[in-house]
Amino acid sequence: MEKTNRERKEKEKQLKRSILTNMIIVPFIPFLLAMGVSFYFFTTALENNTVNSLKRIVEDHCDMIESFLVERQSDLEFITNTYNFEEINSTKAINTIFENLKNRSGAFVDLGLFDSQGIHIRYFGKYQLKGKEYKDEVWFKKVMQTGYYISDVFLGYRNIPHFIIAVRQNSGDKTWVLRATIDTQYFCTLVSKVRIGRTGEAYILNKYGVAQTLRRSGGIQVLEKDQDYLKFPKSQNSLQTFVNIDSAKNKYLYATIWLKNREWLMVVRQEKKDAYKSFYSALYISLMIMVIGGAIIVVIAIYTTEHILKRIEHLGIEKESLGNQLIRAAQLAEIGEMAAGFAHEINNPLQIIKSEYTLIETLMDDVFGKDGMEKNEDIIDIEDSVDQIKLQVNRCSEITHAILKFGRKNETKEQLLRPFIVIPEIISMIEKKAVVGGIEIIKSISEQAPGFMGDPSQFQQVILNLFNNAMDAIEERHGSSGGRMSVAVCRKNENRIEIKITDNGSGISPENIEKVFSPFFTTKPVGKGTGLGLSVCYGIIESFGGTMKVNSEQNVGTTFVISLPAIH
Amino acid sequence: MEKMKIMLVDDEERFLKTTKKLIEKKGYEVLTAQDGEEALGKLKSQNVHVVILDVKMPGMDGNETLKAIKTLYPLVEVIMLTGHATVDSAIDGLKSGANDYLMKPADIDEIVEKATEAFEKRQRLEEKIRLAQTKKYMRSPREILKGDDE
Repeated sequence: MEKTNRERKEKEKQLKRSILTNMIIVPFIPFLLAMGVSFYFFTTALENNTVNSLKRIVEDHCDMIESFLVERQSDLEFITNTYNFEEINSTKAINTIFENLKNRSGAFVDLGLFDSQGIHIRYFGKYQLKGKEYKDEVWFKKVMQTGYYISDVFLGYRNIPHFIIAVRQNSGDKTWVLRATIDTQYFCTLVSKVRIGRTGEAYILNKYGVAQTLRRSGGIQVLEKDQDYLKFPKSQNSLQTFVNIDSAKNKYLYATIWLKNREWLMVVRQEKKDAYKSFYSALYISLMIMVIGGAIIVVIAIYTTEHILKRIEHLGIEKESLGNQLIRAAQLAEIGEMAAGFAHEINNPLQIIKSEYTLIETLMDDVFGKDGMEKNEDIIDIEDSVDQIKLQVNRCSEITHAILKFGRKNETKEQLLRPFIVIPEIISMIEKKAVVGGIEIIKSISEQAPGFMGDPSQFQQVILNLFNNAMDAIEERHGSSGGRMSVAVCRKNENRIEIKITDNGSGISPENIEKVFSPFFTTKPVGKGTGLGLSVCYGIIESFGGTMKVNSEQNVGTTFVISLPAIH
Repeated sequence: MEKMKIMLVDDEERFLKTTKKLIEKKGYEVLTAQDGEEALGKLKSQNVHVVILDVKMPGMDGNETLKAIKTLYPLVEVIMLTGHATVDSAIDGLKSGANDYLMKPADIDEIVEKATEAFEKRQRLEEKIRLAQTKKYMRSPREILKGDDE
């Protein structure tokens, strides 16, 4: 018993697990697939978009800076082409030219004229640089070599970061160089003008990684080496994008492009967090949907599983009780048949006993009765004994007849019975007895209550039996006053009607309630009941397609509930 | 008035013996038979008015015996004695021409009462038959001669 119980529990657990797993996994697979696929495509698109826009910005910006430098170079070339050395070689001329230049672009800080030996012969600006010799400076060598030169940022004599643009002019036998300094401040502003998102910034490094302009987020000063530069991927492509982690452990998305003949590297970078801001919000939203959706799925799965299991358990119990009922019905039928056969056989010897008794009685009458012969004590005892035989034979025959009634399977004539007609008829049969016993009968039978199919005399037998039982129970508890018995008929649902017979009698004890429908079970004193009444009733109601139940509480009362299929 | 002659048919010998005694004490003539064949044999030779017939017997059972009696001796009244409370078997008996039925264990008085009723019914029937025959003879005295011829 315990083993099967444990096995059943184990099975239940297994079932619960498999239902739960299915309930969770099945919706989870498409859910995760949908989430994953859309998330993948969305993020890829977003990433491409971000990278592309960064590329576009770096290209545009590079173009802008390039053209700025070219313009400034052209400004100088324009001058050198317009003026010859003699014309320009005067303080006044330089002043005027500088003023003109300054009008063209605010980027110019000063202007100087050099002869072929690198001597600063004319200068306009705020530093005392006139007469200094530049012959050995890199820029001077370069400009003499290539005809023009734009330098990296350097400190020079003035000891302030700056860069210069210089052009060489050959007019006749004279070679001279015109050099202008570009305002670092101005240039920095120009470069760092780019703003993307919150952290987007642009700056320029030279090919050794030395900062040519300020970085808006700080970290490196002009002329300082950018430590991250070493980590930049080296590639032949002018334009490239990559992700790098800086010394402060921030992830940056970089786009770099070479300019000024691969001397300068324009860097545009944005914190990855910032660049992928919408990516991250998409990620958070997706995660949230996933967590909430998952939670909902799990909750629903658990709830549904519980529900299903409860339902299964309920069905199991129902099945069990149905099975028990069937077994009981079969047992009753078997007992009934057996009892009937038994009763039949008993009747023959009873018949003989009865005949013998009658013979004795007759003979006794013959011998002692007629001529008034005085009976002695023994004779009286014999007569009494014979009377007992008669009494007991009659009792036996009552029992056998009841058994035969119980076991009989004769054809019955089923017809439509209407409760509001048949039940009052039956009540009228016991009304007198009830009045004598001080029992109040309460009827509540609706005329709308539907009818049912059954044999009228059998139905009458059932109801009378229940009434008699009820009245016996009432008498036992209340004597001859204060009894109450109610009969109620109602429609239980579309297909069934219910007949309830309730009394306020002595009730049935819990240990007996299981046995009330069993044949030969009775609590009445010997000779008062056969113990077949309720089992006969049970069989009859069952043959009508109905069921019979009992609820009882000791010293409160008993209710018999008959449920029958309704006919409309 | 003719005296009623009863035949008891039952497989219980003691029942036959005692009941015979009791009914004879009431002043009726009683024959007994232990089974259907014996009963039919006795009917052949004796004029029995009422047969009390047990339904359940070994060999030829009550209902078969009843059918045979009714075929051979339609005027004999039969009362079925059943140990079974099934109205079915009683109904079967009544359908096959039994006059009435009794439940075992039955009182002697009951048996005699039912038998008397049946006997009276038979008497009435015989009376009717006699009257009818008399009328027939009255109408055509030649019929008597004719009947004699046959």
